[in-house]
Amino acid sequence: MMGLWWAQIRSVIRLEMKKTFFARRGLWIYILALLPLLLFMGHNLVISRQQARRHRIASRSEKPLTYQDLLAAKSGMMSQEVVALLGKPPEHFHWNERTQSGTDSFVLVPHESYHYSDGTNDLYVDLSDGKVTSIDVRDGFNPGEDSVVFAGVFQFFYLRLAIFFGCLGIFMNLFRGEILDKSLHFYFLAPVRREVLMVGKFLAGLLATCVIFVGSEFLQIVVFVWNFSPNVRDLYLYHNHGLTDAAAYLGVTALACLGYGAFFLAAGMLFRNPILPAAAILIWEAVNPFLPTLLQKLSVIYYLKALCPVEIPSPPGTPPVLALLVSNSDPISAPAAILGVVIVALLVLYVSSLQVRRMEINYTSE
Amino acid sequence: MNDRIVFQDVSKFYGEILGVNRVNLSIPQGVTSLVGPNGSGKTTLMNLMTGLVRPTRGRVQVLEYTPDEPEKLFRILGYSTQFDSFPKGLTGYQFVSSYLQLAGNDSKTSDQLAWRAIERVNLSDAAPRSIASYSKGMRQRIRLAQALCHNPRVLVLDEPLNGLDPLARAEMIALFRAVAAEGSYVIISSHILHEVDAISDQVILLSNGYVVAEGQIHSVRNEIQEHPAQILIRCNRPREFASKMMESEHTIEVRIHNDGRGLLVKTRDTDRFYLMLNHIALNGIEIESVAPADDDVNSVYEYLIGNDEVVR
Repeated sequence: MMGLWWAQIRSVIRLEMKKTFFARRGLWIYILALLPLLLFMGHNLVISRQQARRHRIASRSEKPLTYQDLLAAKSGMMSQEVVALLGKPPEHFHWNERTQSGTDSFVLVPHESYHYSDGTNDLYVDLSDGKVTSIDVRDGFNPGEDSVVFAGVFQFFYLRLAIFFGCLGIFMNLFRGEILDKSLHFYFLAPVRREVLMVGKFLAGLLATCVIFVGSEFLQIVVFVWNFSPNVRDLYLYHNHGLTDAAAYLGVTALACLGYGAFFLAAGMLFRNPILPAAAILIWEAVNPFLPTLLQKLSVIYYLKALCPVEIPSPPGTPPVLALLVSNSDPISAPAAILGVVIVALLVLYVSSLQVRRMEINYTSE
Repeated sequence: MNDRIVFQDVSKFYGEILGVNRVNLSIPQGVTSLVGPNGSGKTTLMNLMTGLVRPTRGRVQVLEYTPDEPEKLFRILGYSTQFDSFPKGLTGYQFVSSYLQLAGNDSKTSDQLAWRAIERVNLSDAAPRSIASYSKGMRQRIRLAQALCHNPRVLVLDEPLNGLDPLARAEMIALFRAVAAEGSYVIISSHILHEVDAISDQVILLSNGYVVAEGQIHSVRNEIQEHPAQILIRCNRPREFASKMMESEHTIEVRIHNDGRGLLVKTRDTDRFYLMLNHIALNGIEIESVAPADDDVNSVYEYLIGNDEVVR
C-alpha cells in the first residue's frame, strides 16, 4: 500500500511542479525571494568600489602601510609627527575656520583632514591648527557587524515577509487555485485517497518553496561572504561559526517553508478569501512575543526565532515593543525548536487531512 | 456483494437551495438515462454518486463501494463531468495518461491504456496537442477518454453528447452501447430525451430535484400521461374556447380567468390538448399566448416527448 501511495504522491508532485514553478501569477514570489539577494549584490558593488578606492589611496602612499601603522596615529600628535609616521597623506583636505578672538577681531584656524589606507582599511585623521583632534580607523571588513546586518535582513524581511508571503502564494493555491481554475475535480475523480493527494500537493509546494527560498538564501550567503577578502572569509567561515551559521540559515528557511506551508495549505482549504487567513496568521506571528508562553508555542516564528544563529542586539533607546520582537525571552534548544515546528506543521496537516476528506466540488458557489 | 447503484432517501441542499430531495433509486446494469431540464438535479445525482458532493441526508452506494472511498470507487468508476476546465498546460494525451499515473499505474501501462482510450474516442491525431487548442467537441471526447481509460465497470457521463457533431454523436452512442454490452453500468444525463431514448435500458426522469418517474422508457411515458398538466391560455373568446375544450375527455377542468381574457385548462393529455388547440385556432378564436401553468410536470413532459412534437 505504501508503494502505491508513494507512486501516487510522485505523480501529484510531477503534475504540480510545472504549475508551481512556471505559473505567471507566481512571478512575484521569485521577486520576493530574490530581493535580499539583490540587496547584498548591491552592497557588494559598493564594497568593491570602496576597496578599489582604498587600493588607489594605498598605492599613492609614500610608503606601504600596515594596519598597525594606521593604529599608531594618536590624538594630540602634531601634523609633522603624523607625516613622519605615515608619510605624506595621499588624500588631503584643508579649510580655514573663522573664529572670534576679541570683540571685533577674528582669527583663521586652519583645519586639515588626512586619509590613509593600507589597501584594506581606512584611517581618517582630523587636525586643527596643526594638532590631531580625532582619529577614525575604519575596518574594510567587519564580519561581526555585517553578520548582524545579514541576520536583520533575514529575520525582519526574509523570514517574516518574503517566505511568509511566498508560502502564502504557493501553498494557498494548491487547492484554492484549482478551485478558482475549476480543475480540482481532475484529482478528486482519480482513485487516490484524498489524504495522499493532500500530502502530494503539500510536498510539491514544499519542494517548490525550498528550491526558491533555500536556493535564494544559499545565494545570499555566497554573495555575503564573497565581499570579504580571502583571509577574512576563511576566518569567518572556518573559525567564526560562519559555516554553522550558514547551515542554520538554510535549515531555518526550509523549516519556515514547512511551517508556513502547512498553515497556508490548511487556510486554502478552509477559506475562500486568502486575505483574511493571511492577515490573521501574520498578526498571530507578529504578536507572538506578547502572547502567553503556551500560545507562543502554537506559532512558527516562536521556534524559528530560537533557531536563528545570530542574535540581533537592540541598540540603546530601542522601544521595548520592538526590542521584544527580536529578543528571545524563552529560549529553547535547537532540537526542541526543530521538533516544535515539525509537530505544529503535522498538527495543521492533520486538520487539513480531515478537511480534504470532506471537501466538495461546487465551483458555482466560489 | 451489491450489484446495483443505490440511492437511499438521498437529499442534497446547497445552503437553502434544493439539489435533489428524497431520492430512492436502484440502478441496474445497462444504460440508464437521467433526463430532465436544466436545474432538475441530474448533475447533483451524478456528483453524489461520485463523491464530488456529499448528501445532506441519506446514503449512496455504488456496487460494493461508497463515494467516501474514492481510492476504491474510482478503480471501478469513470466520470466524464460537465466541467469544461482542465489542469493547465496539458496535452490531450497527458490529461489521460497523468490520470492513469495518479491511479498508480507505471508509465508504460499508462501509456498503453491512454492511447487505447484516445483511439476509442477517435482523438489520436489531436492527442499530442494542448487541450487549450481543442474545440468543444474535442474537449468532450478527451473527457470521455479519461473516464474510459481504466475500463471502469461504471461509466457516469454528464451530458456526453453536448458539443458533438452528428457523426461524433453516432460514434459515441455506439461506444456507450458497446461499453454497456460488456456488462458495464452506463449512466448518461441529458435534457433531451430523444437523444438517449434509443440507447437507454431505463430512464430516470427528474424535475426540480425530485424523481418524477423511473423505469423502462415505455412505462415512464405512461406514468407521465397520468399527471394532469395545467395550461394558461390568453384568447379573445375564452368562454367559447372553454366549451370546446370540455368536449374532450382528456380535459379535467376549465376555469375562466377573472378578467375575461383567458382561461386555465387542466388536461390529462397535453399531446391531444395541443392538437385541439390548433383546431380551435383554425376555427377563428384568436389565441394570444399559451403557457404552462405548472412548470414541473409540464416542462418535464415536454422534455420527455421532445419539444418538436408539441404543436403550438
